[in-house]
Amino acid sequence: MNSLPADIGGPGLYAVEFGDIVNYFTPYTAVLFVFALVFTALAIASRPERQVDIIFGGDGYYTKDIEPAKLGFQRFMAIACGLATLGAVVSGDVFNFTLFTSMVGITNIGIVAAYTNRHVLNAAFQYGIVAMIATVPLFGGAAIILATTGTLSMWELFGPAIAVPLIAKAFLILGVMGEGMAPFYVAKAEITRAPGAPYVLMIHVSSLLLFLRVTEIVLSM
Amino acid sequence: MTGPLYIAGLAVAFAGILVAFYAIMRESDDFHRILLTDLAEILALVLIALVATDLAEALILPGLVVGISELMAVSEVYLVKEGLFRPQYPPLSIEVMDTAPAILTLALVAYGIVLSGFTGGAVAGVGAVFYMMCRGHDERFAVIEAASGYAWALWIAAFFIFMVAPQYWLFAVMTAGGALLLKVAGKMSLVGTMRGGSNE
Repeated sequence: MNSLPADIGGPGLYAVEFGDIVNYFTPYTAVLFVFALVFTALAIASRPERQVDIIFGGDGYYTKDIEPAKLGFQRFMAIACGLATLGAVVSGDVFNFTLFTSMVGITNIGIVAAYTNRHVLNAAFQYGIVAMIATVPLFGGAAIILATTGTLSMWELFGPAIAVPLIAKAFLILGVMGEGMAPFYVAKAEITRAPGAPYVLMIHVSSLLLFLRVTEIVLSM
Repeated sequence: MTGPLYIAGLAVAFAGILVAFYAIMRESDDFHRILLTDLAEILALVLIALVATDLAEALILPGLVVGISELMAVSEVYLVKEGLFRPQYPPLSIEVMDTAPAILTLALVAYGIVLSGFTGGAVAGVGAVFYMMCRGHDERFAVIEAASGYAWALWIAAFFIFMVAPQYWLFAVMTAGGALLLKVAGKMSLVGTMRGGSNE
């Protein structure tokens, strides 16, 4: 632990050590961190959108009801999602990374689950199932890494001395896809029927950042 | 690190994962899918458990917590999606629930205090659960929460003593044990109030 891992993330900038658990910034993860921070701040500060449905074939329209109580819950979940993303991008420990990733999965369900729209709830349910299934490869990948290499610290895993089995890398990516990327293929279109633009955006932001981060981890290992 | 036993265990776990995923794929009933998914999550714990060190033990707990919280979130979504609400049953009334609670609760709480710590809290908590389930409960959540909060603060203080003044370890052990007892008992007694009713 004498030097920060200098890899595709760039030279290490700063490390926060909590005993064994070391969070660190490289230029790469610092950019992701700032990005997540900006969107968390947006979720805290911005006012929700007001959706309008145009009636087809005429010039009438109606505005959707926005209930403050539900928006409060959504805002809370969006902020929690932002914080989990912040944790995931700076984590220096594979297991912590997987835990933050599953936290993002849970908060993503929470962001859309407050709506009683049937389509939104169906989509949230399917997404929830995928996120739950994804914990199998996610934790499985971390466990295989631990069993074969004897460590979970990215500082050591990124070194040339340790070879991480391919199956563990594949599991890790599969897990992150299921937890974070799920809206991109199962339910994204349906989920975004839920009103509240800045909060729903957080789902996409967190997925994107998580995927960028896991790419870096897997390529460095 | 990896021996033949680990490989064998891994093979069994992968076989289980294949079966579970195949079952989820075949199942079309949403409720059954939730249950199957929960079963599949246990296989993630199996993969962690295969590491078979103390660290694996420490990693299973967060894995389990995350799995349960996702299960709860998805179940809530399912309830709202299907428009299901809790049916109201008339309260259960059998003879033992009128006569036994006081003495049983007293015995359990007393034994819990003797045990102290997490185990004692669980035992005393079971006593409180039983009492509240039998005798009903009023709006006392604030009191229980406050006691739990103070107990948590005491617990932290005890750890502080461990770190800064280790020579007073006995005092710290007793404080932490007592506080944990209160905390776990308070948490568990909340379970006794989970029978629906006016204070949802």
